[in-house]
Amino acid sequence: MKQPGASAVVRPSWPTACRQAMAFVVLLLPGIVWFPADADTTGTSFASTHDPREANAGSLWLRSSPEAEVIAGLSVMTAMQVRVTGNTARVEITQRFQNPSDAWMEGLYVYPLSASSAVDRLTMQLGGRIIRGEIQPRETALVHYEQARRSGRQASLVAQDRPNMFMTSVANIAPRSEITVRIAYLETIPFRDGRYTLRLPLAITPRYSPGGVPEAAPQRVAVGGPAPRAKIEIDLQPGFPLASVHSPHHAVTTAEHGAGTNRHMISARAAMDHDFELSWTPQQLVDTVATAFTATADGATHALVTLMPPDSAAQPAPPREVIFIIDTSGSMGGAPLRQAKAALQLAIARLGADDRFNVIRFSDDASALFMAPQAADSLARAVAQRFVQSLRADGGTEMRIALALALDSGSRDEMLRQIVFITDGSVGNEAELIQLIGNRLGGARLFTLGIGAAPNAWFLTEAAAVGRGSPTFIAAAERVDEGMADLFRKLEQPALLDVGLRWPDGTQPDLAAPLPLDLYAGDPLTVAVRLDGDAPPSNLTLTGRDVTGHWVRQVPVVVLEGETGIAKLWARERIGALSRRKRLSPDVGLHRALDERILALSLDYGLVSELTSLVAVDSTPVRPGSTAGATAQIPTAAPAGTPWARSAGFASTASPAPLLAWLGGLALFIGAGMTALRRLARRQRVPLSRHPARRP
Amino acid sequence: MTRRLPRSALLPAALCIIGGICVVQAGWIHAKGWLAQRLINDAFDRAVAGEHTARPWPWADTEPVARLHLPGAADALVVLSGATGRNLAFGPAHDKSSVKPGEPGNSIFAGHRDTHFAPLAGLRLGDAVLVERIDGTQARFTVRSLDVVDSTRWRIRLDADRPRLLLVTCYPFDAVDPSGPMRFVVTAEAAGEL
Repeated sequence: MKQPGASAVVRPSWPTACRQAMAFVVLLLPGIVWFPADADTTGTSFASTHDPREANAGSLWLRSSPEAEVIAGLSVMTAMQVRVTGNTARVEITQRFQNPSDAWMEGLYVYPLSASSAVDRLTMQLGGRIIRGEIQPRETALVHYEQARRSGRQASLVAQDRPNMFMTSVANIAPRSEITVRIAYLETIPFRDGRYTLRLPLAITPRYSPGGVPEAAPQRVAVGGPAPRAKIEIDLQPGFPLASVHSPHHAVTTAEHGAGTNRHMISARAAMDHDFELSWTPQQLVDTVATAFTATADGATHALVTLMPPDSAAQPAPPREVIFIIDTSGSMGGAPLRQAKAALQLAIARLGADDRFNVIRFSDDASALFMAPQAADSLARAVAQRFVQSLRADGGTEMRIALALALDSGSRDEMLRQIVFITDGSVGNEAELIQLIGNRLGGARLFTLGIGAAPNAWFLTEAAAVGRGSPTFIAAAERVDEGMADLFRKLEQPALLDVGLRWPDGTQPDLAAPLPLDLYAGDPLTVAVRLDGDAPPSNLTLTGRDVTGHWVRQVPVVVLEGETGIAKLWARERIGALSRRKRLSPDVGLHRALDERILALSLDYGLVSELTSLVAVDSTPVRPGSTAGATAQIPTAAPAGTPWARSAGFASTASPAPLLAWLGGLALFIGAGMTALRRLARRQRVPLSRHPARRP
Repeated sequence: MTRRLPRSALLPAALCIIGGICVVQAGWIHAKGWLAQRLINDAFDRAVAGEHTARPWPWADTEPVARLHLPGAADALVVLSGATGRNLAFGPAHDKSSVKPGEPGNSIFAGHRDTHFAPLAGLRLGDAVLVERIDGTQARFTVRSLDVVDSTRWRIRLDADRPRLLLVTCYPFDAVDPSGPMRFVVTAEAAGEL
């Protein structure tokens, strides 16, 4: 009807037009009456009362995204370049934010990093230009980023969401264009059980927050389809000839960089549904179980002291009381629970007749197998094995109840109490749990056993540190035996007690973190120290007690030249120690004092922390117009073997038949109605056309 | 005398033709669903009789995996392999990433709410659902829950400790828009082999 020609031809009189319009309305009425019924039932009222999380078990449903609307498009390509020198690694992560859409967009990407990583560099690449990031207090950085985003300038922000979870935001990515962001960090590589292991976390297990507490970080996991891949290149210069280089979860190619250089180039295209691990072993285990490296700059010396505890001679273990806690929450479903059960069954079989034990399981609630710890006779062990076999993964992760149950169930006599905590650690209330462990530990020791492809390593390590125990990780089913052997060694014999560090007279050492009280076999001690002045002592002494009595070791101090990163590692460790104290104390006044120190340290040493962020802002606006464009969070890969990787979406289960029938019916109604009305109108018009005045 | 249709009659006529086509198409969708079930039923019988990959018609790229008996429905529904849009036009379809019905885990059958799975609206808790499998054995399931789920916010977990059958269709049943986000999910648990 919009064509001028058409309106000129029909040319109905005004009353007819009005009648036709009325007819339209009348004919449409059934539709108007019909549609609200749909709107009513598809609306939120029904959906919310039948929210599966409240209705039946979380066993069937998985939340794929916190918001209903999912903006398709933005993607991130990840590449990692690692340079390993001795026992430190410099890692550079390249994130390419690609925007294939026709609109300006802001991209958010949450990704895991090791909790001990000292993030100190951010660069943003815009075309040929490179913009360096600056360390700023968290709020200031956010304000600068937001200002840039609103005014149409390109900007990026790197902030720490959780100790081991970071988020990059990139503002004003042009349509069909990309922005490359590079983030660099330093890390020490632990030497454990005779090998160095570099871990590059790639996947995040979605965290459970008890009581519906909203997540601190909005988190989306990628589900379905193949996992994205990260390009990883490692320049490995260990400083000694290698016996082997091994990546347990990903295929890698290794090339030696010239003969006899002890330098290896390793590359991989790693599926991001599993954390990347690379371990290497020296050809010969040198006698030096302890090393001390120092670097001097600006009138201060920073030292990195590592100690490998001696392998204690095989001694009969003293009788113990062991409380096993096993996580049977929904996130453990599938492969993780199978690994946890296998590990727990090995541990129960290993118990001696003089030992006592109990098993606590938890998900939405917690329950213990026995009322009180039982002597580990064959009957009790058989009952426990059956109990473990029957466990199923289902529901939430209410760790607090289980931990409280284990910590409070102390026995009367002076037996060595050990708590073995088997979990993937995917909780959102880490701080509360660590505080609980610290407050109620008493004389017990808490060991954590991390399960699965991407456990919450920070929480498990921290819980074990506060619990005066040691963390162990089992990443895959075929490594259960290996991991459990490590754990048994630790459980059965602490290697070194009352560890101490003695300096030559006159030195004022400032330890980044207090020394742990007990050291377990295979667990290294790494501590960073700051010394005033630029003349470090030539050696220092480590002391302790092992099974044979007093243990003393002299350690020569090696001075390193050039940029070593030791100072930054010291600052990172100190910041970690300060936040740990903050978490353990409920005192608000102390919190403020600690916050000030953390902020000052982070700014002095240029590190990202809970109170500082890195921000890079371009100076000229590039986005035309005043609207800032949509924000999309790019999903992070879900770990392999977990329920998130094993889930299905919904098919479209409605045919267009009702829509076709309805539209067809409507069109027929209108068509027929209009025809009828035309007939009516013509009948009225006939006498008019025969009017004498109309005749030629 | 050639009597041309006056231009003022074009719009009503076009509307009538379009409406007719739409109604016929809607009818065809139902007819196709009914006819396909007849053909697939034969293929299922042949498969049970031992024929390897019994295709319902020679050019079909799917094969029947099970026959589903819903309470109160006169005819059994043959379930095809792979929940694609084309398969769903012919009958309920089994999500290939899920386990076969009767194996431990969640076996997912999806179907159109307005054709094959319209009877799901009448299911009640405790109803028995019978599945004939391709090897001739049968599995009985009991309806344990009926849920309405927002498909943009939730996914179905594939792992379960016991054999479970999930019947998925769109919701609400009488809605017109075929792209709505809500799904009606019937969860049935294994009630024993027959």
